Amino acid sequence: MMSKDTQPLASDDWLEQALRADARDHLAAYLPDDGFTARVLGQLPRPAAVPAWRRTFVFALWAIVAVAVLAALPIWFDDVFRNAAALIVGQRFRLSDLAMLLALFGAVTWSALFFAARTE
Amino acid sequence: MSPPAVSDAQLIARVLVQDDRHAFGELVRRHQSTVRACLRKLTCGNAALADDLAQETFLLAYRNLKSFRQEAKFSTWLYRIAYNAFLADARKMKESTLPDNLEPEMVEDVAEPAPVARAATLKIDLERAMAVLSDEERAAIVQCYHNDLSHEEAARVLGCPVGTVKTHVFRAKQKLRARLGAWAPAE
Repeated sequence: MMSKDTQPLASDDWLEQALRADARDHLAAYLPDDGFTARVLGQLPRPAAVPAWRRTFVFALWAIVAVAVLAALPIWFDDVFRNAAALIVGQRFRLSDLAMLLALFGAVTWSALFFAARTE
Repeated sequence: MSPPAVSDAQLIARVLVQDDRHAFGELVRRHQSTVRACLRKLTCGNAALADDLAQETFLLAYRNLKSFRQEAKFSTWLYRIAYNAFLADARKMKESTLPDNLEPEMVEDVAEPAPVARAATLKIDLERAMAVLSDEERAAIVQCYHNDLSHEEAARVLGCPVGTVKTHVFRAKQKLRARLGAWAPAE
């Protein structure tokens, strides 16, 4: 085999042939692995992994946050519910307004369902 | 030889996405022979040094795999890393050792041996003569002849213009011709 660009010159034909023969031997020779790949893999940096103690720590942290949220939730829920009720009771609704609201709610729900169920 | 079931590109993708060590091991297994053989040529047959540099080449390839853009063949990219590792080591060696004036022996007289023996002797002489070349000239010969790359591919590996590769090959051949003059057929 030979480089596509290397044009042999008449004057150094013997050298060209010698280089070609050497290149042929070089390309044909296969160096057995002899544990080379294993040595390379042994030198690779260790894969990044979260240490066991850190996982427990992160889990405990999330558990504390969850308990705090659960403890505070009734107070927040009560506040939100009272404010919403006061807002609604304070308004003067007519029957047509309620009907309009229901129609709007239905349209939004059906649109959302249609969008979710559509095929790509 | 039939082409492998999984291509180099697929193995590279597995390494990049899942940090798949087995996939990288397969890449090393596929290319270790050519990379080590190329480095043996560059180091003038120093197998131990060539293997150390080959190991360094694959470790660097693993660390920099993200920067491989698949424009060139994976093997060409590896040759480039291997050549850079070789150059860095050669520079280190030059700094740490005193220059010696030992010139490789000139091939003087060649007796007329049998054709097979003649070819073997010429091969040995050629290997010795390769040691006379500069690192760049030897690398150009190794890439263009032994790795069977085009001048453009060799230029990419060696990180120099195509014209420079051609000049290195030309000068290398001039030196080899002078060194191995005794092998030239009588006019």
